[in-house]
Amino acid sequence: MLLEFELNGKQTRIEAEPTLRALDLIRDVLGLTGTKEGCGRGECGACTILVDGQPVNSCLLYAAKLQGRSVTTIEGLTTEDGSKELHPLQQAFVSEGAMQCGFCTPGMILSAKSLLDRNPDPDREAIEEALSGNLCRCTGYGKIVKAVQRAAAGGGGGAAADQPGGSG
Amino acid sequence: MQYRTVKSIEEALSQAASAAGEQTKYLAGGTDLVVQIAEGAVYPAMLIDISGIQALRGMERTAEGLRIGAATTIAEILEAADGEAGESGVPECLVQGARSIGSPQIRRLATIGGNVCNASPCGDTLAPIIVLAGALSLRSGKGRREVPAEEFFLGPKATVLQPGEILEYILIPSSHLEGRCAFRMIGKRNAQVISQVNIAVWLKQAEPGAAIEDIRIAAGSVAPIPLRLRKAEELLRGSVPGEPLLQTAQRAVQEEIRPISDVRTSEEYRRSVTAALFRDALAGTLEA
Repeated sequence: MLLEFELNGKQTRIEAEPTLRALDLIRDVLGLTGTKEGCGRGECGACTILVDGQPVNSCLLYAAKLQGRSVTTIEGLTTEDGSKELHPLQQAFVSEGAMQCGFCTPGMILSAKSLLDRNPDPDREAIEEALSGNLCRCTGYGKIVKAVQRAAAGGGGGAAADQPGGSG
Repeated sequence: MQYRTVKSIEEALSQAASAAGEQTKYLAGGTDLVVQIAEGAVYPAMLIDISGIQALRGMERTAEGLRIGAATTIAEILEAADGEAGESGVPECLVQGARSIGSPQIRRLATIGGNVCNASPCGDTLAPIIVLAGALSLRSGKGRREVPAEEFFLGPKATVLQPGEILEYILIPSSHLEGRCAFRMIGKRNAQVISQVNIAVWLKQAEPGAAIEDIRIAAGSVAPIPLRLRKAEELLRGSVPGEPLLQTAQRAVQEEIRPISDVRTSEEYRRSVTAALFRDALAGTLEA
Protein backbone atom coordinates (compact mmCIF):
# COMPACT_ATOMS: atom_id res chain seq x y z
CA MET A 1 0.00 0.00 0.00
CA LEU A 2 1.03 3.60 -0.48
CA LEU A 3 1.67 5.08 2.94
CA GLU A 4 1.60 8.82 3.46
CA PHE A 5 2.51 10.20 6.83
CA GLU A 6 4.60 12.87 8.45
CA LEU A 7 7.94 11.60 9.69
CA ASN A 8 9.94 13.95 11.90
CA GLY A 9 8.22 16.95 10.33
CA LYS A 10 8.59 15.82 6.72
CA GLN A 11 5.82 14.44 4.53
CA THR A 12 6.76 10.90 3.61
CA ARG A 13 5.30 8.74 0.82
CA ILE A 14 6.42 5.17 0.63
CA GLU A 15 5.17 1.87 -0.71
CA ALA A 16 5.08 -0.70 2.08
CA GLU A 17 3.44 -3.95 3.10
CA PRO A 18 0.58 -2.99 5.44
CA THR A 19 1.58 -5.62 7.98
CA LEU A 20 5.23 -4.65 8.07
CA ARG A 21 5.93 -3.53 11.62
CA ALA A 22 6.35 0.22 11.95
CA LEU A 23 9.62 -0.63 13.70
CA ASP A 24 10.94 -2.40 10.59
CA LEU A 25 9.64 0.31 8.27
CA ILE A 26 11.48 2.95 10.26
CA ARG A 27 14.72 1.03 10.72
CA ASP A 28 15.12 -1.12 7.63
CA VAL A 29 13.23 0.79 4.94
CA LEU A 30 13.70 4.39 6.06
CA GLY A 31 17.12 3.80 7.61
CA LEU A 32 16.43 5.51 10.93
CA THR A 33 18.14 3.13 13.31
CA GLY A 34 17.80 5.22 16.45
CA THR A 35 14.60 3.28 17.21
CA LYS A 36 15.66 0.01 18.82
CA GLU A 37 14.16 -3.45 19.00
CA GLY A 38 14.34 -4.99 22.44
CA CYS A 39 11.75 -7.63 23.24
CA GLY A 40 9.63 -7.34 20.10
CA ARG A 41 6.45 -7.92 22.11
CA GLY A 42 5.56 -4.62 23.69
CA GLU A 43 7.14 -5.14 27.06
CA CYS A 44 10.42 -3.19 27.06
CA GLY A 45 9.71 0.13 25.33
CA ALA A 46 13.03 0.27 23.42
CA CYS A 47 11.06 0.69 20.18
CA THR A 48 8.97 3.60 21.48
CA ILE A 49 8.04 6.22 18.88
CA LEU A 50 5.58 9.10 19.13
CA VAL A 51 2.47 8.92 16.99
CA ASP A 52 0.52 12.17 17.05
CA GLY A 53 2.64 13.07 20.06
CA GLN A 54 1.80 9.95 22.07
CA PRO A 55 4.26 7.16 22.87
CA VAL A 56 3.51 3.75 21.38
CA ASN A 57 5.47 0.53 20.87
CA SER A 58 6.46 0.45 17.19
CA CYS A 59 6.93 -3.34 17.40
CA LEU A 60 3.17 -3.73 17.96
CA LEU A 61 2.13 -1.32 15.26
CA TYR A 62 1.57 -2.33 11.66
CA ALA A 63 2.80 0.15 9.07
CA ALA A 64 -0.77 0.62 7.82
CA LYS A 65 -1.63 2.27 11.12
CA LEU A 66 0.76 5.15 10.36
CA GLN A 67 -1.42 6.32 7.45
CA GLY A 68 -2.07 10.04 7.83
CA ARG A 69 -0.35 10.24 11.21
CA SER A 70 2.50 12.34 12.49
CA VAL A 71 5.45 10.24 13.64
CA THR A 72 8.42 11.35 15.70
CA THR A 73 11.49 9.17 16.18
CA ILE A 74 14.57 10.02 18.20
CA GLU A 75 16.12 11.44 15.01
CA GLY A 76 13.34 14.04 14.95
CA LEU A 77 14.43 15.68 18.17
CA THR A 78 17.52 17.45 16.92
CA THR A 79 17.00 20.80 15.29
CA GLU A 80 15.97 21.01 11.68
CA ASP A 81 18.43 23.75 10.77
CA GLY A 82 21.30 21.31 10.44
CA SER A 83 23.06 22.45 13.58
CA LYS A 84 24.44 19.72 15.81
CA GLU A 85 22.69 20.98 18.90
CA LEU A 86 21.00 18.35 21.02
CA HIS A 87 17.43 18.59 22.22
CA PRO A 88 17.31 19.72 25.89
CA LEU A 89 16.21 16.23 26.94
CA GLN A 90 19.09 14.61 25.08
CA GLN A 91 21.50 17.10 26.62
CA ALA A 92 20.07 16.45 30.07
CA PHE A 93 20.60 12.69 29.64
CA VAL A 94 24.23 13.41 28.68
CA SER A 95 24.70 15.83 31.56
CA GLU A 96 23.28 13.42 34.14
CA GLY A 97 25.10 10.43 32.69
CA ALA A 98 21.68 8.84 32.42
CA MET A 99 22.77 5.96 30.20
CA GLN A 100 25.17 3.11 30.09
CA CYS A 101 24.67 0.85 27.10
CA GLY A 102 22.24 3.37 25.61
CA PHE A 103 19.85 0.86 24.10
CA CYS A 104 16.82 2.07 26.08
CA THR A 105 17.72 5.75 25.76
CA PRO A 106 15.84 6.71 22.56
CA GLY A 107 12.63 5.23 23.96
CA MET A 108 13.18 6.81 27.37
CA ILE A 109 13.71 10.22 25.80
CA LEU A 110 10.62 9.97 23.61
CA SER A 111 8.42 8.89 26.56
CA ALA A 112 9.88 11.80 28.54
CA LYS A 113 9.26 14.22 25.66
CA SER A 114 5.62 13.22 25.45
CA LEU A 115 5.31 13.80 29.20
CA LEU A 116 6.98 17.23 29.16
CA ASP A 117 4.92 18.32 26.15
CA ARG A 118 1.71 17.84 28.15
CA ASN A 119 3.08 18.50 31.65
CA PRO A 120 6.12 20.82 31.67
CA ASP A 121 6.51 20.56 35.45
CA PRO A 122 5.99 16.92 36.42
CA ASP A 123 6.60 15.57 39.92
CA ARG A 124 8.69 12.47 40.45
CA GLU A 125 5.66 10.20 40.48
CA ALA A 126 4.49 11.54 37.11
CA ILE A 127 7.95 10.97 35.63
CA GLU A 128 8.11 7.41 36.96
CA GLU A 129 4.64 6.72 35.60
CA ALA A 130 5.53 8.17 32.17
CA LEU A 131 8.68 6.02 32.01
CA SER A 132 7.04 2.88 33.40
CA GLY A 133 6.85 1.29 29.95
CA ASN A 134 10.56 1.73 29.28
CA LEU A 135 12.87 -0.82 30.84
CA CYS A 136 16.54 -0.07 31.55
CA ARG A 137 18.76 -2.97 32.52
CA CYS A 138 21.86 -0.88 33.31
CA THR A 139 21.35 2.29 35.29
CA GLY A 140 18.56 1.59 37.73
CA TYR A 141 16.51 4.62 36.67
CA GLY A 142 17.77 7.12 39.25
CA LYS A 143 19.84 9.16 36.81
CA ILE A 144 17.19 8.84 34.13
CA VAL A 145 14.58 10.41 36.40
CA LYS A 146 17.09 13.11 37.35
CA ALA A 147 17.74 13.85 33.68
CA VAL A 148 14.03 14.37 33.02
CA GLN A 149 13.81 16.63 36.08
CA ARG A 150 16.80 18.56 34.78
CA ALA A 151 15.25 19.01 31.35
CA ALA A 152 11.96 20.08 32.94
CA ALA A 153 13.81 22.67 35.00
CA GLY A 154 15.25 24.05 31.78
CA GLY A 155 18.73 22.83 32.59
CA GLY A 156 19.11 20.48 29.66
CA GLY A 157 21.36 22.48 27.44
CA GLY A 158 22.37 25.37 29.66
CA ALA A 159 25.82 26.25 30.93
CA ALA A 160 25.38 23.85 33.84
CA ALA A 161 25.24 21.04 31.34
CA ASP A 162 28.63 21.61 29.80
CA GLN A 163 30.40 18.93 31.74
CA PRO A 164 29.08 15.53 30.75
CA GLY A 165 28.33 13.45 33.83
CA GLY A 166 29.50 16.28 36.00
CA SER A 167 26.53 16.27 38.29
CA GLY A 168 25.87 12.54 38.30
CA MET B 1 -1.91 -11.92 5.18
CA GLN B 2 -4.33 -9.42 3.70
CA TYR B 3 -5.08 -6.17 5.48
CA ARG B 4 -8.23 -4.09 5.20
CA THR B 5 -8.88 -0.78 6.89
CA VAL B 6 -12.60 -0.17 7.30
CA LYS B 7 -14.60 2.91 8.26
CA SER B 8 -17.93 1.45 9.34
CA ILE B 9 -19.31 -1.59 11.14
CA GLU B 10 -21.22 -2.55 7.98
CA GLU B 11 -18.02 -2.48 5.95
CA ALA B 12 -16.26 -4.59 8.58
CA LEU B 13 -19.05 -7.18 8.51
CA SER B 14 -19.09 -7.31 4.72
CA GLN B 15 -15.32 -7.71 4.53
CA ALA B 16 -15.52 -10.57 7.01
CA ALA B 17 -18.38 -12.13 5.01
CA SER B 18 -16.41 -11.82 1.75
CA ALA B 19 -13.61 -13.84 3.28
CA ALA B 20 -15.95 -16.57 4.54
CA GLY B 21 -14.20 -19.88 4.97
CA GLU B 22 -10.86 -18.27 5.68
CA GLN B 23 -9.86 -17.11 9.10
CA THR B 24 -10.31 -13.38 9.52
CA LYS B 25 -9.48 -11.38 12.62
CA TYR B 26 -10.68 -7.98 13.62
CA LEU B 27 -7.72 -5.84 14.66
CA ALA B 28 -8.04 -2.86 16.97
CA GLY B 29 -5.03 -1.82 19.06
CA GLY B 30 -3.19 -5.03 18.26
CA THR B 31 -1.29 -5.23 21.54
CA ASP B 32 -2.30 -8.86 22.01
CA LEU B 33 -3.09 -9.94 18.45
CA VAL B 34 0.11 -8.64 16.82
CA VAL B 35 2.19 -10.61 19.33
CA GLN B 36 0.09 -13.74 18.80
CA ILE B 37 0.56 -13.42 15.01
CA ALA B 38 4.30 -12.78 15.37
CA GLU B 39 4.64 -15.89 17.51
CA GLY B 40 2.64 -18.00 15.06
CA ALA B 41 -0.12 -18.70 17.57
CA VAL B 42 -2.76 -17.47 15.11
CA TYR B 43 -2.59 -17.32 11.31
CA PRO B 44 -5.39 -15.13 10.02
CA ALA B 45 -5.74 -14.92 6.24
CA MET B 46 -7.11 -11.42 6.64
CA LEU B 47 -6.90 -8.68 9.22
CA ILE B 48 -9.73 -6.16 9.32
CA ASP B 49 -8.58 -3.00 11.07
CA ILE B 50 -11.57 -1.59 12.93
CA SER B 51 -9.72 1.00 14.99
CA GLY B 52 -10.82 3.83 12.68
CA ILE B 53 -14.56 3.14 12.96
CA GLN B 54 -15.93 6.24 14.67
CA ALA B 55 -19.10 4.44 15.79
CA LEU B 56 -16.94 2.13 17.90
CA ARG B 57 -15.11 4.93 19.67
CA GLY B 58 -15.82 6.95 22.75
CA MET B 59 -18.20 6.85 25.68
CA GLU B 60 -21.77 8.02 25.93
CA ARG B 61 -24.14 8.31 28.90
CA THR B 62 -27.65 7.35 27.85
CA ALA B 63 -30.87 6.63 29.73
CA GLU B 64 -29.85 2.96 29.76
CA GLY B 65 -26.43 3.54 31.25
CA LEU B 66 -22.85 4.13 30.12
CA ARG B 67 -21.96 2.94 26.64
CA ILE B 68 -18.28 2.37 25.98
CA GLY B 69 -17.40 1.84 22.32
CA ALA B 70 -15.33 -1.30 21.78
CA ALA B 71 -12.49 0.57 20.03
CA THR B 72 -12.16 3.15 22.80
CA THR B 73 -8.57 2.99 23.97
CA ILE B 74 -7.60 2.30 27.56
CA ALA B 75 -5.79 5.68 27.57
CA GLU B 76 -8.98 7.44 26.43
CA ILE B 77 -10.96 5.86 29.27
CA LEU B 78 -8.34 7.02 31.78
CA GLU B 79 -8.18 10.51 30.28
CA ALA B 80 -11.95 10.81 30.62
CA ALA B 81 -11.76 9.63 34.22
CA ASP B 82 -8.89 11.99 35.03
CA GLY B 83 -10.56 14.93 33.30
CA GLU B 84 -10.97 18.14 35.24
CA ALA B 85 -14.71 17.75 35.52
CA GLY B 86 -14.23 14.32 37.06
CA GLU B 87 -17.73 13.53 35.89
CA SER B 88 -16.95 10.98 33.22
CA GLY B 89 -19.18 8.51 35.01
CA VAL B 90 -16.66 5.70 34.53
CA PRO B 91 -17.00 3.56 37.66
CA GLU B 92 -13.94 3.47 39.89
CA CYS B 93 -13.28 -0.27 39.56
CA LEU B 94 -13.14 0.03 35.77
CA VAL B 95 -10.74 2.98 36.04
CA GLN B 96 -8.54 1.02 38.43
CA GLY B 97 -8.62 -2.02 36.14
CA ALA B 98 -7.77 0.10 33.10
CA ARG B 99 -4.89 1.72 34.95
CA SER B 100 -3.44 -1.72 35.72
CA ILE B 101 -3.05 -2.62 32.06
CA GLY B 102 0.41 -2.64 30.52
CA SER B 103 2.35 0.58 30.14
CA PRO B 104 1.55 4.08 28.84
CA GLN B 105 2.55 2.86 25.35
CA ILE B 106 0.29 -0.19 25.56
CA ARG B 107 -2.64 1.76 27.02
CA ARG B 108 -2.41 4.24 24.12
CA LEU B 109 -2.95 1.45 21.57
CA ALA B 110 -4.99 -1.13 23.48
CA THR B 111 -8.78 -0.98 23.46
CA ILE B 112 -11.35 -2.12 25.99
CA GLY B 113 -13.04 -4.23 23.32
CA GLY B 114 -9.72 -5.90 22.62
CA ASN B 115 -9.22 -6.66 26.29
CA VAL B 116 -12.69 -8.27 26.36
CA CYS B 117 -12.46 -10.18 23.06
CA ASN B 118 -8.93 -11.44 23.74
CA ALA B 119 -10.61 -13.26 26.65
CA SER B 120 -7.52 -13.83 28.70
CA PRO B 121 -8.59 -14.97 32.18
CA CYS B 122 -6.31 -12.26 33.61
CA GLY B 123 -7.65 -9.31 31.57
CA ASP B 124 -7.88 -6.40 33.99
CA THR B 125 -11.14 -4.88 32.72
CA LEU B 126 -13.08 -8.15 32.75
CA ALA B 127 -13.85 -8.56 36.45
CA PRO B 128 -14.90 -4.87 36.68
CA ILE B 129 -17.23 -5.21 33.68
CA ILE B 130 -18.77 -8.36 35.18
CA VAL B 131 -19.43 -6.85 38.64
CA LEU B 132 -20.92 -3.79 36.94
CA ALA B 133 -23.42 -6.12 35.22
CA GLY B 134 -22.01 -5.07 31.86
CA ALA B 135 -23.79 -6.20 28.72
CA LEU B 136 -21.93 -6.71 25.45
CA SER B 137 -23.60 -5.61 22.24
CA LEU B 138 -22.58 -7.92 19.39
CA ARG B 139 -23.23 -7.24 15.72
CA SER B 140 -23.27 -9.62 12.81
CA GLY B 141 -24.91 -9.86 9.40
CA LYS B 142 -27.96 -11.25 11.22
CA GLY B 143 -28.36 -8.18 13.40
CA ARG B 144 -27.58 -7.28 16.98
CA ARG B 145 -27.64 -9.36 20.15
CA GLU B 146 -26.80 -8.50 23.71
CA VAL B 147 -24.88 -10.90 25.94
CA PRO B 148 -24.25 -10.40 29.67
CA ALA B 149 -20.49 -10.08 30.16
CA GLU B 150 -20.40 -12.98 32.57
CA GLU B 151 -21.83 -15.29 29.88
CA PHE B 152 -19.46 -14.08 27.15
CA PHE B 153 -16.37 -16.03 28.19
CA LEU B 154 -16.09 -19.77 27.50
CA GLY B 155 -12.44 -20.39 28.33
CA PRO B 156 -8.98 -18.89 27.82
CA LYS B 157 -9.17 -17.02 24.48
CA ALA B 158 -12.62 -18.50 23.84
CA THR B 159 -15.87 -16.53 23.72
CA VAL B 160 -19.41 -16.81 22.40
CA LEU B 161 -18.46 -14.61 19.41
CA GLN B 162 -19.47 -16.29 16.15
CA PRO B 163 -17.22 -16.04 13.07
CA GLY B 164 -17.46 -12.49 11.71
CA GLU B 165 -19.36 -11.21 14.73
CA ILE B 166 -18.08 -7.94 16.15
CA LEU B 167 -18.24 -6.39 19.62
CA GLU B 168 -19.87 -3.00 19.19
CA TYR B 169 -20.03 -1.59 22.70
CA ILE B 170 -20.12 -2.42 26.37
CA LEU B 171 -23.14 -1.15 28.28
CA ILE B 172 -22.88 -0.57 32.03
CA PRO B 173 -26.52 -0.30 33.13
CA SER B 174 -27.65 2.72 35.16
CA SER B 175 -28.57 0.41 38.04
CA HIS B 176 -24.88 -0.45 38.48
CA LEU B 177 -23.48 3.02 37.89
CA GLU B 178 -24.99 3.62 41.32
CA GLY B 179 -23.28 2.03 44.27
CA ARG B 180 -19.56 1.74 44.86
CA CYS B 181 -16.94 -0.54 43.40
CA ALA B 182 -13.25 -1.31 43.68
CA PHE B 183 -10.65 -3.34 41.80
CA ARG B 184 -7.49 -4.85 43.22
CA MET B 185 -4.75 -6.80 41.47
CA ILE B 186 -1.40 -8.22 42.34
CA GLY B 187 1.55 -8.75 40.06
CA LYS B 188 5.30 -9.06 40.36
CA ARG B 189 5.96 -5.33 40.07
CA ASN B 190 3.86 -2.19 39.98
CA ALA B 191 3.95 -1.35 36.29
CA GLN B 192 3.88 -3.26 33.01
CA VAL B 193 2.78 -6.49 34.59
CA ILE B 194 0.16 -9.16 34.04
CA SER B 195 -2.12 -9.87 36.97
CA GLN B 196 -1.40 -12.98 39.02
CA VAL B 197 -4.84 -12.43 40.50
CA ASN B 198 -7.34 -9.62 40.15
CA ILE B 199 -10.69 -9.01 41.79
CA ALA B 200 -13.53 -6.53 41.59
CA VAL B 201 -16.32 -5.86 44.07
CA TRP B 202 -19.46 -3.79 43.46
CA LEU B 203 -22.02 -3.13 46.18
CA LYS B 204 -24.90 -0.94 47.16
CA GLN B 205 -25.80 0.37 50.61
CA ALA B 206 -28.66 2.74 51.48
CA GLU B 207 -26.25 4.76 53.60
CA PRO B 208 -22.88 4.34 55.32
CA GLY B 209 -23.12 1.62 57.97
CA ALA B 210 -26.29 0.17 56.45
CA ALA B 211 -26.66 -3.42 55.31
CA ILE B 212 -25.35 -4.44 51.90
CA GLU B 213 -28.41 -4.29 49.64
CA ASP B 214 -26.76 -5.93 46.71
CA ILE B 215 -23.26 -7.11 45.90
CA ARG B 216 -21.36 -8.63 42.98
CA ILE B 217 -17.85 -10.08 43.15
CA ALA B 218 -15.68 -11.36 40.29
CA ALA B 219 -12.07 -12.45 40.07
CA GLY B 220 -9.58 -12.99 37.24
CA SER B 221 -6.70 -15.44 36.80
CA VAL B 222 -8.33 -17.85 39.22
CA ALA B 223 -10.21 -20.01 36.69
CA PRO B 224 -10.32 -20.53 32.89
CA ILE B 225 -12.67 -17.54 32.68
CA PRO B 226 -13.16 -14.43 34.83
CA LEU B 227 -15.30 -15.87 37.60
CA ARG B 228 -18.33 -14.53 39.42
CA LEU B 229 -18.07 -15.46 43.12
CA ARG B 230 -21.69 -16.08 44.03
CA LYS B 231 -21.20 -17.91 47.33
CA ALA B 232 -19.51 -14.95 48.96
CA GLU B 233 -22.10 -12.64 47.40
CA GLU B 234 -24.92 -14.67 48.98
CA LEU B 235 -23.23 -14.63 52.37
CA LEU B 236 -22.82 -10.87 52.33
CA ARG B 237 -26.06 -9.76 50.68
CA GLY B 238 -28.39 -8.26 53.30
CA SER B 239 -25.72 -8.14 56.01
CA VAL B 240 -23.72 -5.60 57.93
CA PRO B 241 -20.59 -7.71 57.83
CA GLY B 242 -18.57 -8.15 61.00
CA GLU B 243 -15.33 -10.05 61.41
CA PRO B 244 -16.77 -13.59 61.65
CA LEU B 245 -18.86 -13.12 58.49
CA LEU B 246 -15.95 -11.55 56.62
CA GLN B 247 -13.79 -14.56 57.43
CA THR B 248 -16.54 -16.92 56.33
CA ALA B 249 -16.85 -14.96 53.07
CA GLN B 250 -13.09 -15.13 52.53
CA ARG B 251 -13.23 -18.92 52.91
CA ALA B 252 -16.13 -19.02 50.45
CA VAL B 253 -14.01 -17.09 47.95
CA GLN B 254 -11.17 -19.56 48.37
CA GLU B 255 -13.51 -22.50 47.88
CA GLU B 256 -15.19 -21.11 44.80
CA ILE B 257 -12.10 -20.20 42.79
CA ARG B 258 -10.33 -22.79 40.65
CA PRO B 259 -6.78 -21.53 40.26
CA ILE B 260 -3.91 -23.36 38.61
CA SER B 261 -0.15 -23.07 38.87
CA ASP B 262 1.38 -21.49 35.78
CA VAL B 263 4.27 -19.32 34.60
CA ARG B 264 3.12 -16.39 36.71
CA THR B 265 2.55 -18.01 40.09
CA SER B 266 1.34 -21.05 42.01
CA GLU B 267 -2.15 -22.30 42.79
CA GLU B 268 -1.51 -21.99 46.55
CA TYR B 269 -0.39 -18.39 46.25
CA ARG B 270 -3.42 -17.51 44.13
CA ARG B 271 -5.80 -19.09 46.63
CA SER B 272 -4.25 -17.25 49.53
CA VAL B 273 -3.86 -13.86 47.87
CA THR B 274 -7.35 -13.86 46.32
CA ALA B 275 -8.88 -13.96 49.80
CA ALA B 276 -6.70 -11.04 50.89
CA LEU B 277 -7.43 -8.99 47.75
CA PHE B 278 -11.15 -9.68 48.20
CA ARG B 279 -10.99 -8.37 51.74
CA ASP B 280 -9.10 -5.27 50.59
CA ALA B 281 -11.48 -4.57 47.69
CA LEU B 282 -14.47 -4.98 49.99
CA ALA B 283 -12.92 -2.55 52.46
CA GLY B 284 -12.52 -0.14 49.54
CA THR B 285 -16.24 -0.23 48.75
CA LEU B 286 -18.03 -0.73 52.06
CA GLU B 287 -18.89 2.44 53.93
CA ALA B 288 -18.90 1.79 57.66
